[in-house]
Amino acid sequence: MPKNTEGQDIVSIQNVIKEYHLDKVVVPALRGVSLSVEAGDFLSIVGPSGSGKTTLLNLIGCVDVATSGTVLIDGHDTKSLNDRQLTDLRLNTLGFIFQSFNLVPVLSVFQNVEFPLLLQRKFTKEERAKRVDELLEKVGLDKHTQHRPSELSGGQRQRVAIARALVTRPKIVLADEPTANLDSVTGENIIDLMKEMNRVEKTTFIFSTHDAKVMSHANSVIRLADGKITDGKGAKAGAH
Amino acid sequence: MSQLFLIAFRNLVSHGRRSLFLGGAIAGVTTLLVFLGCLSSGVKQTMLESALTVATGDMNVGGYYKVTAGQSAPLVTDYKKVQEIIQKTLPDLDFVTARGRGWARLVSDQASMQVGIAGVDMAHEPRLPQVLKLKEGNLQDLAKPGNVLIFENQAKKLKVKAGDSLVFSVLTDRGVNNTVDVKVCGVAEDMGLLTTFNVFLPQETLNKLDQTNESTTGAVLIYLKNRRRIPQDVDLLRKALTGAGYNVVDRSSKAFWMKMQEVNKEEWTGQKLDVTSWDDEISYVTWTLSAIDGLSFLLTTVLLVIIAVGIMNSLWIAIRERTREIGTLRAIGMRRWRVMVMFVLEAFCLGVLGTAAGAVLGSFLALILNAMHLPVPAGIQFFTMSTTLKFALDPARILGGMAIITFCCTVISLIPSFKAARMRPVTAISHVG
Repeated sequence: MPKNTEGQDIVSIQNVIKEYHLDKVVVPALRGVSLSVEAGDFLSIVGPSGSGKTTLLNLIGCVDVATSGTVLIDGHDTKSLNDRQLTDLRLNTLGFIFQSFNLVPVLSVFQNVEFPLLLQRKFTKEERAKRVDELLEKVGLDKHTQHRPSELSGGQRQRVAIARALVTRPKIVLADEPTANLDSVTGENIIDLMKEMNRVEKTTFIFSTHDAKVMSHANSVIRLADGKITDGKGAKAGAH
Repeated sequence: MSQLFLIAFRNLVSHGRRSLFLGGAIAGVTTLLVFLGCLSSGVKQTMLESALTVATGDMNVGGYYKVTAGQSAPLVTDYKKVQEIIQKTLPDLDFVTARGRGWARLVSDQASMQVGIAGVDMAHEPRLPQVLKLKEGNLQDLAKPGNVLIFENQAKKLKVKAGDSLVFSVLTDRGVNNTVDVKVCGVAEDMGLLTTFNVFLPQETLNKLDQTNESTTGAVLIYLKNRRRIPQDVDLLRKALTGAGYNVVDRSSKAFWMKMQEVNKEEWTGQKLDVTSWDDEISYVTWTLSAIDGLSFLLTTVLLVIIAVGIMNSLWIAIRERTREIGTLRAIGMRRWRVMVMFVLEAFCLGVLGTAAGAVLGSFLALILNAMHLPVPAGIQFFTMSTTLKFALDPARILGGMAIITFCCTVISLIPSFKAARMRPVTAISHVG
């Protein structure tokens, strides 16, 4: 497995086209996007609704495949991987933070965060507990470990989601509009937390937003419009 | 896996009403299955106890004795020699006893009835005192010649009680009408169908009635330590008897009496022995068990189909409700088979809990009804083989039923679970609803 150190490309996308087929109509979501993301970056993808932000994050997150073009994640060409390999890549290399938090409602805060470690089957119970407690302390939820998601506020839930995304020490964390369902103060806190994790854990963060305030925290910004990159440091707009 | 179990269990709890409805249906079917199973086991137990007391041993060696080609008598001549062969051949023999077999008219002052007679030697009948429950009289008097033991319903029909006199009247195999006076030494509690037409008489008195000698009996009853070996033991004994020079009739699963007409049509004269097992001897009534088991199977199958549809629907709803959760779990690295297992476990948990509740309920119901000693109407006693409704808990059968129902619930959940596992993560994550 290729190793990335800070400053090297951990995500490399070349001429990616993504089209959706709605009955007989072809809807283009990405029109030839090329993009490189350096390890340790805190990158924001911005653009209006329908610009292709979520599609781009889905492709980087290996939950969707490009119609054409190349997506390299940590040196792996996602097109050459089968479902099992993609699942393992998501488990070991990527972390996800969703707009609607997407926690498992029947599990406690601790169990939600521990879950990816259980899927990895690499650690003992004690090691898992240590890692989960450490992260929950960092996100300020060490007093809520036994609560269920329904007993938490939106901001607290998103903190749990951040802890869950980071628990496996992934190289990349993808966040699709992580502050969209939060008030501005809580949203600001969440971005601060992500930034802090980016600094402490050296994790690459790629997040989408259309909030200028949130965007201002990013080291790099990619602007998308109509499925094309229109502006961005280290990024190239598509040819189509 | 424990986390998947936890998710499955908590999801069942969180959808309490739906789980309760489906679990209740599963529990209902299990209750019915267990209840009918207990009834079947109870009837079987009664049937076995009754048959092994009145009509048969675990195995029997009977004899057809034909002086003329057209008529046979149920006799085994020189039966002690046969007993020796049995003792040498069967390693798991418990004990062996000779019983005379006969058919005569039993006449009282006010009524008469046709009865089957079992001629017993009480010194060699260790089971009878343990099993027969006397309403009146003394069982030990059956050891004395000139006494007869009858059953409750016979006493009622003949309008006699212990100490009263009766007369046996029979047309012997020698073609002579013979009668013997006897005294009722005891009236025993009824034990179902077989005790409606069977009485016990000392062997000596039966010999006198049938005008046969001491070395002749009706059948040799064999009691074994291990009933599971009966089929092998039947074959073993048939070979041993043939090897000792006896003619043995072809193996058939019919009762000794049922084969008599066929034997009468055959051309030979002399003696042929017949080796039967207890279930051969009561094969003409075991259809009762098959009927109860068949009814259980039919009812359970129909209800299981209904439950299967319910489980499938319920899982489809659960999967639809939790599509985004499936997408999230797939995104964070859960493999397809684990998603499938997660939903299968839900149905499995529901099956285990539902069947456990049903088994407890069914067993409890059977035990209560058993303790109530509910009387069975006379017409139905033929089927139940008992004057009261009897249920017996058979743990293997109950666990088997639970396992089958749980297995069906689990298997049926594979279809929706497989579909859930095949969902594309991107489609599942973006699901709205």
